[in-house]
Amino acid sequence: MKRKMLSLILAVSVSALALSACGGTGAAESAAPAADAGTEAAPAEEAPAEEAPAEEAAEAPAADVAAEGEHELSVYAWDANFNIPALKAAEKAYQKVDPDFTLNIIEQSGSSDVEQAVTLAASSGDYSALPDIVLFQDHWIQKFHADYPDAWQPLEGDFKWDDFGAEKLSYSTIDGKHYGAPVDNGTAIFAYRTDILEQAGYTLDDVTGISWDEWLEIARNIKDKTGMALLSMDHSGDDLPYMMLQAEGQSQWKDNTTPNIKGNETFKKVFEVIVQGAKDGTIILANDWSEYTDQTIMGDQVAGVMNGNWIIPTIEQVEANSGKWALTTIPTLDGGKEGYAANGGSSLYVTANCQKPDLACAFLAYTFGGGEGAMDTYDAALKDGGVITTCISAGKSSVYQEGVDFFDGQAIYADIVEMGSHVPVIQQSDYHYNLRTLVGNAITNVVNGADVDSEIDGIQEQIEFEIAGSQN
Amino acid sequence: MEKKRSLTIGQKQKIAGWLFLIIATVMIFVFSFWPMVSALTTSFKTGSAANMKWCSPLTFNYTRMVKDKIFKTSLSNTFLYLIIQVPIMLIVAIFLAQLLNNRDLKFKGLFRTCVFLPCSISLVSYSLIFKSLFATQGLINSLLMKAHLISENINWLGTTGTARFVIILGLLWRWTGYNMVFYLAGLQNIEYSVYEAAKIDGANGWKTFWYVTVPLLRPVIIMTFIMSINGTLQLFDESVNLTNGGPAGTTITMSHHIYNNAFGTGVANFGYASAMSFVVFVMVAILALINLKVGDTRD
Repeated sequence: MKRKMLSLILAVSVSALALSACGGTGAAESAAPAADAGTEAAPAEEAPAEEAPAEEAAEAPAADVAAEGEHELSVYAWDANFNIPALKAAEKAYQKVDPDFTLNIIEQSGSSDVEQAVTLAASSGDYSALPDIVLFQDHWIQKFHADYPDAWQPLEGDFKWDDFGAEKLSYSTIDGKHYGAPVDNGTAIFAYRTDILEQAGYTLDDVTGISWDEWLEIARNIKDKTGMALLSMDHSGDDLPYMMLQAEGQSQWKDNTTPNIKGNETFKKVFEVIVQGAKDGTIILANDWSEYTDQTIMGDQVAGVMNGNWIIPTIEQVEANSGKWALTTIPTLDGGKEGYAANGGSSLYVTANCQKPDLACAFLAYTFGGGEGAMDTYDAALKDGGVITTCISAGKSSVYQEGVDFFDGQAIYADIVEMGSHVPVIQQSDYHYNLRTLVGNAITNVVNGADVDSEIDGIQEQIEFEIAGSQN
Repeated sequence: MEKKRSLTIGQKQKIAGWLFLIIATVMIFVFSFWPMVSALTTSFKTGSAANMKWCSPLTFNYTRMVKDKIFKTSLSNTFLYLIIQVPIMLIVAIFLAQLLNNRDLKFKGLFRTCVFLPCSISLVSYSLIFKSLFATQGLINSLLMKAHLISENINWLGTTGTARFVIILGLLWRWTGYNMVFYLAGLQNIEYSVYEAAKIDGANGWKTFWYVTVPLLRPVIIMTFIMSINGTLQLFDESVNLTNGGPAGTTITMSHHIYNNAFGTGVANFGYASAMSFVVFVMVAILALINLKVGDTRD
C-alpha cells in the first residue's frame, strides 16, 4: 500500500516537474530535467501495472455461458445505435413466448472485436470464452467455417428461409445448412442529390437504368456545371469493383480459391469505368474512411453516393440537404436494365459454446428468422436502430411503407427491401479482403499511369501467390 | 528435520536468493523465450490458425518471401525510411544537443523540454494527428493555400512520394528529441577542460566539434544508431495509422506486412508472418553487428 502511494506521489511529481520545466529558470545545472523525468517515471509506471488484472476483469466484457440461467442467452454485438437496439427488440418480442427470457447483450467496440474474439477462441481450441451467439460481418463466415468447422452449430427449427433475400442467405448457407440468422441488409443503393441533377438538366429517371458510359457522360456534365463529383469511395477498402461486378451478376471468383480476374472482360470494363471516373474527377477515391464520409459525403463534394444502405445515416447527417436526396438502383455496363448489388451486412451465428441450441434456434427463428415475432422485431429494429431487414414479408409492414422526409417522402425502406430481393447470388471467397486490397492498389496504379492489362495480370498473379501460400 | 537444521545462514540466503530469482526467470522463459521458440516452429508451418501443419518443403515460407512482391516493396520502403530518416535525425539531434549544451544559453530547461516533449506522445496519437494535418482538406493544405504557395490542394497521403515524405517527417518530429537526450547526457560527461585545451591549441568551433566532441561521443552515437536502426526496421504505427500502407501499398513497412498476414483483414497466415519476423530479426542482428564492428574503438 505504501509503495503504491509512493508511486502515485512520484507520478504526480513527474508531471509537475514537466510543467515546471516548461517555465524553466535556466539554472545551469548539469542534469537535463527531461532525463530526470525519465528516471523518476520508471517506478511510477509500476503502479498501474500492479492493478491491471483487477481492472481488466471489471472492464473487459466477456461471456460466461456456464453461469447462465435456463432462459438466458448471451450475444456479442457492437453498435449501440444500430444492431444493439435490434437485439433488444428481438428480446422483447421473444418475451411474449417465454416471459422469463433474457438476452445478455455484451457490447464490443467494433465488428472486428467480435471477429478477433472468434479467431482467438477457435485458434486456441477453447470455445468457453465465447457467448451463445455472435454477430459479425457476413463475409467472414465462409472462412470461419472452413477454418474452424466445429465452432458453429447449424440453425434448425421454424425458420422461414424462403422469406429472405437469397443473396443474403448465400453467405451463411454451407453445404445446404443454414448457419446465420440474418439481421440487417446490405443492399446497395445509389443516392443522388436531385437538386444538383436538376441544375445540370437531369432528373432521377435519367440516372436510373443507364449504362456506366452514359453515367460517366452525365457525371462530366454535372462536374462542368456544378463542380461536384457524382460518386466517391473509401479507396483504402474499395468496394466499388465488387458491387459493380455483382450488378452484372458476376463475381471476381470462379470458386473459393480460383480468382476470375485475368481475361475477365467484364471485370476489365468495370475497372476502366472507375479509372475513367477518377481521371475525370467525377469519382473521388478518398484516402480513408473518414475522408470518404466526413469530407466527400458530409462535406458536400459529391452529388451521389453508392454503397450498402447502411451509408444512409451518414448521408442524413447533413440536415441542410434534407429533402434533396433520392434513392435509385445502380447502373450497369450495358444499360437498359437496373443493377442490384449488396455490400456488407451481418448475421447472428450460434457458437459451439452454446449449451442450449434449442433455445437459441427457437429465439432466432421466432424473431430474426421470419417467425411470428419477426414483424415486431424488425419494426422496432428499424425505428430504434435504422436496421433494415432482408425479410421480404416484414418489409411489407406499415413502418416500412412510411415515407422518409429526408428523401423527399420516398418510402426508402420498402424500396430497399424490394431491391434486396433482386440482388444476384454470386460466388464468395475466403480471400475477398485480400483481393479487395489488390484491386484497389491496381486502380491507384492505373490512375497514376500504369498499364491496365499488366496491372490486372498483376492482381491475378499476386492473389494466386497469396492463396498458394496459405494452402500449401 | 535433521537436514534443514544443518543449513548455514549463507546457504539459506542463497536459497532465498534463488527463490526470488526463479519467479522472474520462469516468467521470462514462459512469456518471452518460449514464444520465440514457438514462433520459430510456427514459421515452418502453414495453414490457418486452428489446423496448422508442417510445410513441405520445410523452408517453404522462407523461399516464398523471395517471390513476394509486397514483401520486397515493404523491404525497400523500410530501408528507404532507414537511409533517409536515421542520418538526418541523428545529425539534427547532435546539433540540437550541442546548442542546448551551451553554458551561456538562457531558458535551457524550457528548450530541452520542448525538444523532448514529442516523445511523450503516443505513436498512434501523433500518427493520427499528422494524418489529419496532411489530409486533403487538412490544415497544411489550408495554410499553403492561404499563403498562395499552391493553387490546389495537394493529396499528401494519396501520392507515393509525398506520403513517404510525411512518414519521414513524422518520424523526425517524434524521435529527434529522444536521441538528443542521449547526446546531451553524453556531452555532459565530457570535461569542460577538454574544450579549453582545444581552444588553447587554436581549434575553431567546427574543429572542436569534429575532432573533440564526436570522438568522445562515439559510444553514444553507436548506441543511438543501433536503437534507431532497430526501431526503424520494426516501424509499424506510422505505416498503419498514417497511410495504412497506401497509396497502393507503396508506403507499407515490413512489420505492417507481417501484421497484415497474421491479423489483417485477409486470410490469416501465421506461418508466413512468423517466417518474415525471423528474417527481420536476423536483419536487425546483422546491422547491429556491422555497426558495433565499424564503431569499435579498440584497434
